[in-house]
Amino acid sequence: MAGIDVGGGHGGKRATNHEIPLIPFIDFLLCLVAFLLVTAVWSQMARINADARVPGPPKDEPPEEVKKEKQLHVEMRGERKFQLIWKEGNTVVNTIDVDKKPVPVGEQGDIKYPDLAKKIEEEWKQNGQHRAASDTKLDQAVLHTDNSTPFSDIIAVIDAIYSPHRDYSIGGKTEKVPAFNVTFSVN
Amino acid sequence: MSADKPLSRFHQPISVPGRRLLHHVPLKFVRKKVAGGGGRSVNQEIPLIPFIDFLLCIVLFLLASFSASGELPIDKNVKLPNAENVIDMTEAPMVAITGTQILVDGNPAGSTRAIEESNRLQRIDELFNVLKNKRDLWKQLNPTKEFPGVVILQVDRKVQALVVKSVFQTAAFAGYPNVSFMVGRLGKPGEGGGH
Repeated sequence: MAGIDVGGGHGGKRATNHEIPLIPFIDFLLCLVAFLLVTAVWSQMARINADARVPGPPKDEPPEEVKKEKQLHVEMRGERKFQLIWKEGNTVVNTIDVDKKPVPVGEQGDIKYPDLAKKIEEEWKQNGQHRAASDTKLDQAVLHTDNSTPFSDIIAVIDAIYSPHRDYSIGGKTEKVPAFNVTFSVN
Repeated sequence: MSADKPLSRFHQPISVPGRRLLHHVPLKFVRKKVAGGGGRSVNQEIPLIPFIDFLLCIVLFLLASFSASGELPIDKNVKLPNAENVIDMTEAPMVAITGTQILVDGNPAGSTRAIEESNRLQRIDELFNVLKNKRDLWKQLNPTKEFPGVVILQVDRKVQALVVKSVFQTAAFAGYPNVSFMVGRLGKPGEGGGH
């Protein structure tokens, strides 16, 4: 068994060699492993971001002037079509229709919109304003939906908007991030 | 027997079969070692030190893998949708929207029935007060830090957009403009998103 030999122990003094009780120690470690395994939750939960497009609490400072940039508005109010609208302020720059073709995923009734994701990626490659890796800002997408849309459809569309990715350099490191930041319009 | 006549094979002395090489080494313990023979010891030492190292590694790994996402309380009545382009969970107030109830960190904070019946977007006062109190408490506890304003919504997949919008708007009014929707992770293993 393991021990610590530091010599000495002669001349009537107490022995300085000690045995470490390894077996109880192993038992303790095994108990700890079992406890941690039992209490561990192997969660697959994650989150998907969206900003609110509503006025926040009032501030004392006057609001900063925001430069008008192109924004992609995704309209999912139509029965059969999505509308992708590029706007610069209130001016409509371009409008594209995309057919609603939901593709079922998994057994829990989830859906995906691969056509929408593909079209959004194409649009971003053509019209996106923040495509350089050194650009710290992201292009803005605004999602509009009607009041009766089920939440699972909203998530499927937000997921499609987040599908185009771009390089993002920060602190000498480059990583892939979604090209758009999504704002959920409550109007 | 004459010396010039070879012995027939039947006249050779009989010797016990067995190992011959290195059997004439005079030292007994050396002979035993080099000639073999003494059976293998039946006592085996279990290498305990590597075993303990292994256990310690497992313990450390399990302790390290304890994360916020593992301790998230998910309401039993909420069936979350799944998505691919997601990011890891963070610590933030959790607002659950079940079929009829709104809960903040497990405590009731309003009902969805009133919104559905009125069929118009409205601020949920109870939820607003709970979130505002949470925000004020956070600011008192962290006076030097900037308030992150993040709230996580656990929304059942069948809940109508009107209810989501009302909760969304109420959260923003209460000082939580950065809303995250809790979802299940779908496919694309190893990709974390990062939005």
